[in-house]
Amino acid sequence: MDKVVACGTCGLVQEVDGEVPLGAVVKCARCNFQIFHRRVDSGSRTLAFSLAAGILYFPSNLYPIVTAEYQGQSVQTTIFQGISSLWHDGQYFIGGLVFCTSLFTPALKILGLIFITLTLNWPRFKKTRAWIYKIIRIIDPWNMLEVFLLAICVSMVEMGEVATVHPGRGVFSFAAVVVLTLCGTLTFDSRLLWDSAAERKKYE
Amino acid sequence: MSDQSHSLPRAKIQKDALSLFFWALPVAAAIMCGWFLLHDFVLAGPSITIYFKDAQGLQVQNSMVKYRGVEIGTVESLELAHHGQDVAVRASLHRSAADVARQGSIFWIVRPELKVGAISGLQTIVSGSYVAVQPGAGGPTNVFNGSTEEPPPPIPGISITLLSDDLGAIEPQSDILYRGLKVGSVLNYRLDDNARYIVVNARIMQEYAPLVRVDSEFWNAGGINAHLGLFSGLNITAESAQTLVAGGLAFATPEKYGAPATNGAVFFINNKEDKTWDDWNPIIPLNTQPESKKTKNEWPQLNAQ
Repeated sequence: MDKVVACGTCGLVQEVDGEVPLGAVVKCARCNFQIFHRRVDSGSRTLAFSLAAGILYFPSNLYPIVTAEYQGQSVQTTIFQGISSLWHDGQYFIGGLVFCTSLFTPALKILGLIFITLTLNWPRFKKTRAWIYKIIRIIDPWNMLEVFLLAICVSMVEMGEVATVHPGRGVFSFAAVVVLTLCGTLTFDSRLLWDSAAERKKYE
Repeated sequence: MSDQSHSLPRAKIQKDALSLFFWALPVAAAIMCGWFLLHDFVLAGPSITIYFKDAQGLQVQNSMVKYRGVEIGTVESLELAHHGQDVAVRASLHRSAADVARQGSIFWIVRPELKVGAISGLQTIVSGSYVAVQPGAGGPTNVFNGSTEEPPPPIPGISITLLSDDLGAIEPQSDILYRGLKVGSVLNYRLDDNARYIVVNARIMQEYAPLVRVDSEFWNAGGINAHLGLFSGLNITAESAQTLVAGGLAFATPEKYGAPATNGAVFFINNKEDKTWDDWNPIIPLNTQPESKKTKNEWPQLNAQ
């Protein structure tokens, strides 16, 4: 085992003295976060998370997000219908933003993570994997915009007497996709990107 | 050391339970999707097509199909069919109500209606029109011809045909009165094939069916009868407030009555009541049954699926 470890959080390179005893964890000298040589089982966990997210991506977009009942009429809206109605209303900026954050970036992120984790052991595509990971890190904050979508839903529910809003199947799948993709990037250890197959064996 | 280790038992190397837990996530996601698909395609009710002449008031995804006031389906699409002669209304039914999709079922559109003597479909002013159904008794089918108006509820009784020179104030659902009591109602009317009479189809409730005899006399009881006599003065008669506005028919049966009228019996409608009919006071036993055995209507039972 290597003595020198870098903290994944603050980047401080430090030395680990002696063997780590059973039941103990290694904490960073500067930021006190747990440090690993490599995250445990990182590749396969990330693959599991992103596969689950990829499966749920379909119901989240095909099923209605909300069912609004207004004076005896019920209106069901999927994400895509919401985007197209924004677009037709002339709200091109908001429509485009919602399209990017709700449809485009989650798909990109899920596909990217699946590609990276599946091809980790390949000697080829090393550069490509690094590029994809960079893109994922760039689009990651934008995925958080779904929180605002949920806020809009809540404000609709608050109308109470006038209209009743039921969450559809889509919104649960959607929430699951958001959480799963988040977990997917969190569990992924970026150091795996440059590890060769032999190096990975060493850290297992 | 290494020599000795061969004689020792071999340690098991197995997958960490925690990492198996992570792989349960995609499995759970797949099961969830499978459940959605099962719900939508396997457990979904049938999809039916109803042809209407006019589908005014129906909206895709919003309009409901209702039976006994309960939503049993949704209108999925509206499009022209038969070269623009009809509107094809495609609706998906709930599984619990799949059994209304059978031959003889009558579909019609409920809209707000304001007629003399009757206001109906008031709730549809705010909720929008919906498709209502009266299930038939035939075999399963998926294509129906919609009715333009609400069919009369299947009240047990006999159907009779009345011929009149003049329609007068008769309307569908006009009352048929015996001694001023409602014993039946008019279903519909039309001009006969040679345009000589108005043919009125009416239904007498089962309970009162024996009152109609082959020699019964019918007359138009709608409106006001005014009679100005030299000695009797002005004499105004009207059967009831309801017939005054909505029109109606009355009948009387002579004391020495004939055979009971059967389904499809034909009578002429007199324009005025004859004075002597007023004095008829026949004794006719009615088809009275205990209240509990009386069937309110005969809509067929639906088989649960």
